[in-house]
Amino acid sequence: MSSDTRSKSPPPEQAQTTSRRTLALATAAGACALAAAAAGPSLVFALAPLQAQKSSGRWVKTVKLDQLQEGVPRRVAIVDDRKDAWTVERGVELGSVWLVRRGDRVLALSAVCPHLGCSVNAVVTPEGRGGGGGFACPCHTSAFDPGGKRTSGPSPRDLDELETKIDDGHVVVDFRRFRIGIDEKVET
Amino acid sequence: MIRRVLELLDERTGIKKVAQHLLDEPIKGGARWAYVFGSALLGSFMVQAVTGVALMTSYAPSDKTAWASVHFIQFQQAGGWLVRGLHHFGAQAMVILLGAHLAQVALFGAYKKPREVTWWLGLGLMAITLGFALTGYLLPWDQKGFWATRVATNIAGTVPVVGDATQRLLQGGPEYGSLTLTRFYTLHVVVLPALLIGLVAAHVALFRRHGVTPPAKADLSRVDAFFPKQLLKDVVAALVVFAIVLVMAVREHGAPLDAPADPSSDYPARPEWYFLALFQLLKYFHGPLEIVGTVVLPALVGIYFFVLPILDRKDGTALRGRVKPLIPLLVVGLGAVGLTAKARVDDANDATFQTERAKADLRAKASVRLAMDGVPPEGPLVMLARSPEIRGPELFEKHCAACHRLGEHGSEKERSAPVLDGWGTEKWIRDMLHDPDGDERFGRTSYKGEMPSLDVKPSDADESWSPMTASDMDAVAAFLAREGDAPNESPPAESLRADPKRVARGKEIVKARCTACHLFEGAGDDGGQGLAPELSGYGSHAWVRAQIANPSSNATYRESAFSAPEREGLGRQMPRFDGDLSPAEIDLLATWVLERARR
Repeated sequence: MSSDTRSKSPPPEQAQTTSRRTLALATAAGACALAAAAAGPSLVFALAPLQAQKSSGRWVKTVKLDQLQEGVPRRVAIVDDRKDAWTVERGVELGSVWLVRRGDRVLALSAVCPHLGCSVNAVVTPEGRGGGGGFACPCHTSAFDPGGKRTSGPSPRDLDELETKIDDGHVVVDFRRFRIGIDEKVET
Repeated sequence: MIRRVLELLDERTGIKKVAQHLLDEPIKGGARWAYVFGSALLGSFMVQAVTGVALMTSYAPSDKTAWASVHFIQFQQAGGWLVRGLHHFGAQAMVILLGAHLAQVALFGAYKKPREVTWWLGLGLMAITLGFALTGYLLPWDQKGFWATRVATNIAGTVPVVGDATQRLLQGGPEYGSLTLTRFYTLHVVVLPALLIGLVAAHVALFRRHGVTPPAKADLSRVDAFFPKQLLKDVVAALVVFAIVLVMAVREHGAPLDAPADPSSDYPARPEWYFLALFQLLKYFHGPLEIVGTVVLPALVGIYFFVLPILDRKDGTALRGRVKPLIPLLVVGLGAVGLTAKARVDDANDATFQTERAKADLRAKASVRLAMDGVPPEGPLVMLARSPEIRGPELFEKHCAACHRLGEHGSEKERSAPVLDGWGTEKWIRDMLHDPDGDERFGRTSYKGEMPSLDVKPSDADESWSPMTASDMDAVAAFLAREGDAPNESPPAESLRADPKRVARGKEIVKARCTACHLFEGAGDDGGQGLAPELSGYGSHAWVRAQIANPSSNATYRESAFSAPEREGLGRQMPRFDGDLSPAEIDLLATWVLERARR
C-alpha cells in the first residue's frame, strides 16, 4: 500500500527519497524535541526529592534529670516544631529516644533500629526494671546491650547514640536520624 | 546492532507492520496545514498528561491542604512553577485548539456522511475537554476557582428534573464540603482521562477509516503518505503551540494563585475567559427566564452541533452549497466573541469590580507571602486568621472604625475618638503635651478640657505657673515613646529616645510632675480624680492590649474613667472588648494597631 501511494507522487524517485529522508529526520527531531521539552520539567519536578536538603540535628529539651532512675532505660518523646513540605506544626512528636542515666550524665540512644527502622524496646528482665536487659527490636530480633552495643540479630551496627547535655536540670538531646540498613552511622 | 534488536522484536511482535500501517496512511489531496489541529490537540493532551501526573505527586486534595500544596508547588518545589504553568496554559491552548479544530472540520464539511459518528465523537471530546477545564479550575482551592466552580455547580442545579441530583453528585452532597474537592479530583485525574482516551481512540480509528476531507477544489490525484509530510506539519504545529504555552508559563512565572478559598468572604467571582460568554449570557435573563441563559441556549447550541450532519445532507463539500446549515455556527461563534468582549468591557468600566478585584489581589499577595513560612495543619484560612496583617484591618473595621480613625480605616467626618495615626510616637506625645485638646487628640472626646497644656498658660492659672521647657518636653516624649518600644527593640539612632540620659530625665519628670493626675506603676493621682491613665508601659503592646480588653481598669484609663457620673452623657465612651473578642484577637488587634500607628 505504501509503495502504491508513493508511486503516485509526481517527483522522480531519486529526489523523492532524499526529500523523504530529510522530512523523516526533521519529523523525528521535532517529535523528540517536543517530548523532551514537555517531559523535562516534569522529570525535574518528580525527581525533586533526590536533591532535598539533608536534615540537621536540633537540640530538644526532654525530661528532668531527676525523673530518670540510674541505669533504667526510659523512652521519651521528642517534641518540637516540624516543617514538612507545606505544613508547619508546632509542638508535635517527632520521634522518641531511649535515655539511660549514668550518674550526672545521660546516654541517649535513637529508638530506631538500624536494621530496617522498627522501633526498639527495652528488655524487661526477670529481676525487674533495673536489671539492665538491654534493648531488643520486635521486628527481626536484633538485640543490643544496655549501652546500645549489638549483641545478636541482623542489625548491621549498634544503636545510634545521640549527644546529650544537661541544661537547667533538663536532659537536652541532639535529635538526629541516620540511614537505615548500612554498617556506618550516616545522617539522613 | 539496533537493527538486529528491531528485527528480533519484529519477529515476535510484528511491530514493523503496525508502524507502517500507522505511518503510511494515504492523505488524499495531499498534506495540509489545515489538518494539523487534531494532532496538535493530541500533542497538547500528552503534555497535559505528563505535567498532570507530575503535579499529582505533590498535590494534596483536601480543603485544608489543596491551596497549601499548590502554593508549595508554585513557590518551593524544584520545577514546580514551570510544570504548573505548562499545565495551566496548556489547558487554555487545548480550548483554543478545540475551537480551531471544530471550525476547520465544519468549514471543510468533514462532518458529512459517512463521517457523522466521527463528528459526534468529536463533540463528546469537546464536552470532556471542557469538563477537564471546569474540574481542574477548582483544584487549587483558591478564591477564583472556588467561586467560579460554585457558580457552575449551582447552574447545573437549576436544570429541570435532573439538576438537583447532578449538583449533589458533583458536590458530594447538598453543599460544598470535604467531598467536593475529592470528587472533582477523581473526575479530573481518573474518570475524564479514561473517557477521553477511549473516545480519542474511537475518533482516530474512524478518522483513519474515512480519511481526510479535502477541500472541494483539491487535486485528488495527489496523495501524500501521513509520514513524513503530514506528520512533520503536525509536529511543527504541536511545537509552535508548546512554544507559546512555554512563553506564557515563563512570563507568568507559573500560573496565578489567588487567596485561599473562603466561603465567608465577598469575592468578585469570574470564570476563566473561555466561559466568560456563558457568564455574560446570565446577565440578560432574570427570574423565570434565567434558565434560558443557563440551560436552554447552551443546550440549543449543543443540539445544533449534534444535528448538523443531518441538516446538511446535500452532496459536495463546497462551502457555497452549505451556507444555510452553517449560519447558526457563525451566529454562535460571533455571539461567543461578542459576549466575551462585552463581559471584559463591562468589568473594565465597573469601578466597584475593579476595587474589589484590587482588594482580592492584595489578599492573594499577602496570603502567598505568609504561606512562605508554611501553613498550619488547620489550613490556610487559620493561617490568615492568625495574621495581624490580614485580620487586623478586618477587626479594626468591625470594632474600632466607628469611633477611631487609623489610616484609611474609619471616617474622619464621623469619628468621635482620637486619630490613631502616629499614636505613642515622640512627635505625637510632644503634640499632646502642647495641645491635648487638638482635634486629632481629645478634641472630639469626652476628655476635652481634662488635660492642661504644659507650655500654654491656662486662663485660670496663678502666678506660680511656669511653662515646661522644650528640652523637658523632649525628655518626657523620649521617655514615654521608649515605654512603648518592645522589650528587645532598640530605638532608631536619630530619635530623641536614642539618648538614655534624656530618657532617664524624662522618667524623673513624669514621676515628679505627671503623677499629680496620672498613675505611674500604680501610684500617683494625688487628687484622686481617677481620670488620667497609667503612664508606665504607655503605648506598649501590653498597654494597648489592656486598653482594648477593658479601658476601665487601672492598667490603662482607670476604673472610673468612663463611668464617673460627671462623665456620663458626654457622647460615646470606649467600651470593653474582652466579651466580643477572644484574647487571641485582642492580641492580634493590638499588634496591628501599634504597627500601623507607629509606622
